[in-house]
Amino acid sequence: MGHKIFAYLDERIRISSLMGFLLNEPIPGGSRWAYIPGSMVFFVLILQFVTGMMLAFYYGGTPDHAWDSVNYIDHLTYNGVAVGRLIRGIHYWGSSIMVIAVGIHLLQVFLWGAYKRPREIMWLVGVLLLALTMTASFSGYLLPWDERAYWGTIVGTNMIGLVPFVGEVIKDAIRGGVGLGALTLSHFFTLHTMILPTLFILFVLLHMVIFRRVGPAGPFSGSPEKLEATKDTFYPRQVLMDSFGMLAIFIVILALAVLRPPELESVANPSNAAYSPTPAWYFDWIFELLKLIRPEIVGVVGLPVLIAIVLVFLPFVDRKPVRSPFRRPISVLSTLFVLSAMLGLSIMAENGYKKLVDVDRVAMVRGQGVFNTAGCIGCHTLFGKGGKVGPDLSEEGLVGHSEHWLTVQFLNSKAHFPDSIMPDFTYLTPQQQHDLAMYISSLGRMGWPDPTKTP
Amino acid sequence: MDKEVTYRVGIPVMGPRGETLGRLEKVLLTESRHLVTGLIVRALESLHILPLDRVTEVSASEIRTTVLPEEFHGFPVFDPTQYEEVPPWFFPPGHHIELGALVTIKPLDVREQGEHEAMSRRAFMGRSVAIVAAAIGVSLLVPIGGYIMAAATTPMKDSWRELGVKLQDLPFDEPVGHSFRAVSVSGWMRVPEEKSVWLIRHSGASDPASEPEDQVLGLDSPLELKDSDPRLTVLSPICPHLGCEPQWHKGQKLFICPCHHSIYQLNGNRIGGPAPRPMDTLPARIADDGAISVIYEQFAIGIAAKKRLA
Ligand code: FES
Repeated sequence: MGHKIFAYLDERIRISSLMGFLLNEPIPGGSRWAYIPGSMVFFVLILQFVTGMMLAFYYGGTPDHAWDSVNYIDHLTYNGVAVGRLIRGIHYWGSSIMVIAVGIHLLQVFLWGAYKRPREIMWLVGVLLLALTMTASFSGYLLPWDERAYWGTIVGTNMIGLVPFVGEVIKDAIRGGVGLGALTLSHFFTLHTMILPTLFILFVLLHMVIFRRVGPAGPFSGSPEKLEATKDTFYPRQVLMDSFGMLAIFIVILALAVLRPPELESVANPSNAAYSPTPAWYFDWIFELLKLIRPEIVGVVGLPVLIAIVLVFLPFVDRKPVRSPFRRPISVLSTLFVLSAMLGLSIMAENGYKKLVDVDRVAMVRGQGVFNTAGCIGCHTLFGKGGKVGPDLSEEGLVGHSEHWLTVQFLNSKAHFPDSIMPDFTYLTPQQQHDLAMYISSLGRMGWPDPTKTP
Repeated sequence: MDKEVTYRVGIPVMGPRGETLGRLEKVLLTESRHLVTGLIVRALESLHILPLDRVTEVSASEIRTTVLPEEFHGFPVFDPTQYEEVPPWFFPPGHHIELGALVTIKPLDVREQGEHEAMSRRAFMGRSVAIVAAAIGVSLLVPIGGYIMAAATTPMKDSWRELGVKLQDLPFDEPVGHSFRAVSVSGWMRVPEEKSVWLIRHSGASDPASEPEDQVLGLDSPLELKDSDPRLTVLSPICPHLGCEPQWHKGQKLFICPCHHSIYQLNGNRIGGPAPRPMDTLPARIADDGAISVIYEQFAIGIAAKKRLA
């Protein structure tokens, strides 16, 4: 049967020669594990395409529905499995892992010297794909329309606005107006789900066509005769290695999606000026670096321009044919320097952020019981209900108080606020204190009402 | 799959005395065994198959053979329509000058491990690739299937809604179309909506019209059976044929659907037209003070069974 179908297709669309072309690509020096990062990036990109399409199935791209629809996705279950959270988790972690995979791929190409003649154009297309990846992360960040998304995008687009002469115009064009609103969201949604995927398909294809035209660079050492003698075809050994690489990265993404599902902070609140946004982790180092460069404008404009110049002109400036990293000490050392600087800056940035408490969801649910029985709602407002004597706690989890701070607040609030009229809840057991702290830490971050259960 | 695959090459093919026989057009090889079986040589407009054992020497610029020009035309003519004609741009550059290909066209493993061993290893690797691909595919497609079905199968909670009408205010045996405001839920969206039902008051169990036809036929679910009352029939406004709305015709005392003329009696009994079942009754409760509440159910249209939608 399969044979017949194959024969039928072969006669009409010449499938065997196509397969032969795709699979019998010669790899000088044979298959290697070192060649798998490119395939891994490609795989994650496809994963992002598939899960992204799935998210768009239920997403509502306007400010009055975006958050609700993401919350709805988070609550979608099928036969008791939280499929919605899983799909969103894959997409969420997939974007982080894709940035890492692209970084590894770029680093490997750089260290292998594989960007050198005749592969300069392929490198340029790769740099463009890196830019697309970053733009995709940035534009996807806004779509859930929660506090983090809103304020992160405010800051990100404000930075664009700092560019001399054209910045304001570009910023307003991106936002679709002076402020962040419905048009910003639909602009970002269109960019994220229509423009970028189209460009991705186009340039990934170009990247691969060039790759097949110019052939793989192969190892950086070994005589041409030896490479020729140990030449292997792409299928099956390299394909198998690639597929193991894809499986590994898939398992990592899946595990992250299950173990650390993405959070959804409370819906974007343009009047919550107290919110301090943090960038996605891969922009941490830029965030930290920008704090060091003064005046600000130099960093905001200079840094991206510098990165772009280095990446774009690298293969045209560095024209020595030597590829081995062992004979390119300057390149390797400067790479190490840049990497460690990025790492150091990222750590500094992370340490500078207010750490939100890691919420234990079981304790959180118990804590909600404590909250209700202890009568907190008599003084505090929660999601529009409750007393007005104490502060509104609807987004208290985003403030970043530690568990210890919260416990002290429950037992002896005068320690923090001498004028506080809050009673001392000294009768709470340590267990209850912990549970209540977990619940308070979750406010504004999780535990949203389930829209799939209609009253 | 002993199909022959051809690769385009393109250098002069010489006879023993150095005279040009033609240009190398393709290399014929058996795909599964990676064995070159012959050369295709183009001489003017005809293509000839030259067996590989007549080739004596291959260099980067030419191929030498033991074939004399006069015997050359005796070799079988290659029929291009029988083989792949792959456009030259389809091949990566360098492929056609890779003359070593004639010697090293066998992949590394085939050369090192021998034909048989290598082939079974390749088959094993091929199967492993298929298994890994299937593992990824299944563990991605199963959640996606669930994700797509999740919204479709989200159960609807039965909610009783008070209509704001009292039983004692209704006329006997005369359907009253009653509209009320409801909320329709679609995923994350809640939209206020106008719904309507037919309310028909009966004098009691002795009234022949008081037993709805779908109850007679045993189409009702336990919910509808439990919440039925001989004093009142609540009918869905939706025609079970294709979903139009039957209208009450006072003179004839019949519901008639404007779309395809299904005709129903007061108790929903179908007496004519294409509808597959009687009009659908809805569960109803009457409070002590006569206040009526209903569950607005919807049913599949076009089938004989009264099948509730989600
Ligand atoms: S829809 Fe009512 S008869 Fe066809």
